[in-house]
Amino acid sequence: MTAVIEARELTKRYRRTTALDAVSFDIEADTIYGILGRNGAGKTTAMSLLTAQSLPTSGTVRVFGEDPFENARVLSRLCFVRENQKYPDDATARHALRAARLFFPRWDQALADRLVEDFRLPLRRTVKKLSRGQLSAVGVIIGLASRAEVTVFDEPYLGLDAVARQLFYDHLLADYAEHPRTVLLSSHLIDEISDLVERVLVIEEGSILLDATTDEARGLATGIVGDAAAVEPLIGGREVIHRESLGRVTAVTVLGTLDDRERRQVAEAGLDLSPVSLQQLVVRLTQHSSPGAGRAGSAASPRPDAAVERTIR
Amino acid sequence: MTTASPTRWAGPSPSTARRTLDVVRLQFINRQTFLWIPLIVLLGAWLLNLLVYLIVAANGGSGPMYSGASQAPVWYFAVIGGQAMTLTFPFSQAMSLTRREFFVGTLAAAAVSALGLTAVFVALGLLERATDGYGMDGYFAYLPALWTQGTLGAGLAYFTLTMLFFVIGFWFMTVVRRFGPMVAAAVAIGVALIGVGLIALVTAAQAWGAVARWFVEAGPVGVSVCGLLLAAVLAVGSSLTLRRMSV
Repeated sequence: MTAVIEARELTKRYRRTTALDAVSFDIEADTIYGILGRNGAGKTTAMSLLTAQSLPTSGTVRVFGEDPFENARVLSRLCFVRENQKYPDDATARHALRAARLFFPRWDQALADRLVEDFRLPLRRTVKKLSRGQLSAVGVIIGLASRAEVTVFDEPYLGLDAVARQLFYDHLLADYAEHPRTVLLSSHLIDEISDLVERVLVIEEGSILLDATTDEARGLATGIVGDAAAVEPLIGGREVIHRESLGRVTAVTVLGTLDDRERRQVAEAGLDLSPVSLQQLVVRLTQHSSPGAGRAGSAASPRPDAAVERTIR
Repeated sequence: MTTASPTRWAGPSPSTARRTLDVVRLQFINRQTFLWIPLIVLLGAWLLNLLVYLIVAANGGSGPMYSGASQAPVWYFAVIGGQAMTLTFPFSQAMSLTRREFFVGTLAAAAVSALGLTAVFVALGLLERATDGYGMDGYFAYLPALWTQGTLGAGLAYFTLTMLFFVIGFWFMTVVRRFGPMVAAAVAIGVALIGVGLIALVTAAQAWGAVARWFVEAGPVGVSVCGLLLAAVLAVGSSLTLRRMSV
């Protein structure tokens, strides 16, 4: 595996807050990353530092082996359209796309045209007058059509309806298959992107909580489904991060894995092991690390995304 | 996991010079900001000025008429200088430009625009000279102090003034974005205080005559060269302020 980005002891302090606290991680080439974490956890800060849009207070970033800051050679291979991206005064979506065509060497105009059509993006309207979803679409189109070797999407789904989000995921996967590249995708809709991302980077309060493949992350917990009476003894002392019951059938997700004896027990009791929801896991991880947040057992709220999206303080 | 190395896509990347030139193109993708609005302001001011002269002339006004209306678009350049900072700079970061490419390209775009504006200004001045102020001794562009050293001198003066305002607007907004509006306001007041201090010094030394003489002796060209030097200093200041700025 080759790292395209190496972050070492990366720290970013704003006046009073430490947005990132000495984090180190690698981003591997040709991989789709999910950058997950609660609001204010440091996701956008991290992405800004990796793309040299911001400067770290201390620590280093290497992209393609070089310092990306003021480095045209490196920057021309990156693309990061921010979630709250600003555009020149009175610029229309057409102007923005035309500009992107100038600066991204691998820009695919045909793809951009198709995306404009799919997202029904009004090209002549000034960016100021676009809806939140249309604004997101501009960023998504620039990100996809730039075909930059490292492409960063910061909460690209904001304001997009379900159809448009699916369009984005489909286009991303299809284009990624043809033109592999490194994609960083920050999102709160974790389950929605969990089949898309190959690795997850969970950031919480300026630190890296988890840096693993999606499968490894899922392996941190176990889902058991079946008769409630048979499920209970298997839980043992494990922490339940999610529980759902319908009649006598219970589905629980517990932290940790089962040993061989327990696996036999599962089979003998006629229970099933179910795939773990990445979202439930991330909710559990990020809640545990913030003081005063949900206790074990009650950690899994009925609408986990609501819990994730609750602003930190 | 090994050390970072270019992926197989690594190809020749476009040169910085090319990308800087593309920034100029970027600024002109939407022709409104750098072309139409300044032109409309200039020609609008000219038209209004002409109408006023007509009224005065029709009512028996006599003697040459001069106005400062031609400076109208110059002020607008402070505005677009500021907007280049607050809006186009963040966009340039999404376009993966370096700060230097953005800054140099934007300054070049402003210079192109200012040159165009200057050409119109000079053309109007020449027209006024040829027609003795539209036949009614009224001058919008052909202002005596600006034209003492000829057409080029007048053009240089107008160009310098325009660029100076652009750089001031740009730097001011850079300070606002990097250090916050409080610091920017303090800086603006500080600069104004320095200005007042200079006025006090000159007044105390009873040197206004000398100052006026210097302006006359330096002429439009000399004053412009000083103005351009000042603009260059301000530009360097802006680029240093911009250099380490986060989006």
